[in-house]
Amino acid sequence: MKTVEYVVADPLGLHARPAGLLVKKAAAYKSGVTLKNAETGRSADAKRIMGVMSLGVKKGNRIELSIEGEDEDTAAAELKAFLQENL
Amino acid sequence: MGLFDKILKKKEAEVVSPAAGRCVSIKKVPDPTFGEEIMGKGVAIEPADGKFYAPADGVVSTLFPTLHAIGITTPEGVEILLHVGLDTVKLNGKHFTVHVKQDDQVKKGDLILEADLAAIAAEGYQTITPVLVCNTPDFKEVVPVAEKDVAAGDVVLQIKL
Repeated sequence: MKTVEYVVADPLGLHARPAGLLVKKAAAYKSGVTLKNAETGRSADAKRIMGVMSLGVKKGNRIELSIEGEDEDTAAAELKAFLQENL
Repeated sequence: MGLFDKILKKKEAEVVSPAAGRCVSIKKVPDPTFGEEIMGKGVAIEPADGKFYAPADGVVSTLFPTLHAIGITTPEGVEILLHVGLDTVKLNGKHFTVHVKQDDQVKKGDLILEADLAAIAAEGYQTITPVLVCNTPDFKEVVPVAEKDVAAGDVVLQIKL
């Protein structure tokens, strides 16, 4: 399993647009991807939009992606880059 | 037959318009997040007034801290997102009054959100409101109605379970 940690810099947090884009990206991998909001301890399947949005991730919140599966190395690297570019 | 059996045997679910106004194709929404159906299939409502009602029975699964969007999960597992206006996340809650909390149970037609549409428009935001099914791939089909004027409570989406 690979873990990616990130602190959200976007002043608007993980709102609809970045949530939609993150889910689209995560869904493309064979690996399972779980998103956790470390501030609240709540987790959701990163391939489901409603779950991701329900975490209420705001600016300054630390989030963790847990990635497990055959393409976890690629997924971890690409999802990390996605977070840095979009959030 | 218990409630659970009834739900299991249902073949279709409905989503109704949360507001009075005009129901148009979601493809007309000038924001690719919605117009290109990245968030799922649905419709968009051009609201005539600022009162928004629950589009189905369910649980408030998402309430944005910025109050401009609400997610409701129905007993059939349909995850409905109601997103009032475009880019309205930037208003940070201004002009929105919400009448529910995350995890509340709502009934179809409950008043859940009020928005001052004139004030939102005056700040340069569009008030067109996408109503969509976030988990569209979980269903056989999500069928929007044709473009028409609607009252709150009119069916706008048919979902084949």
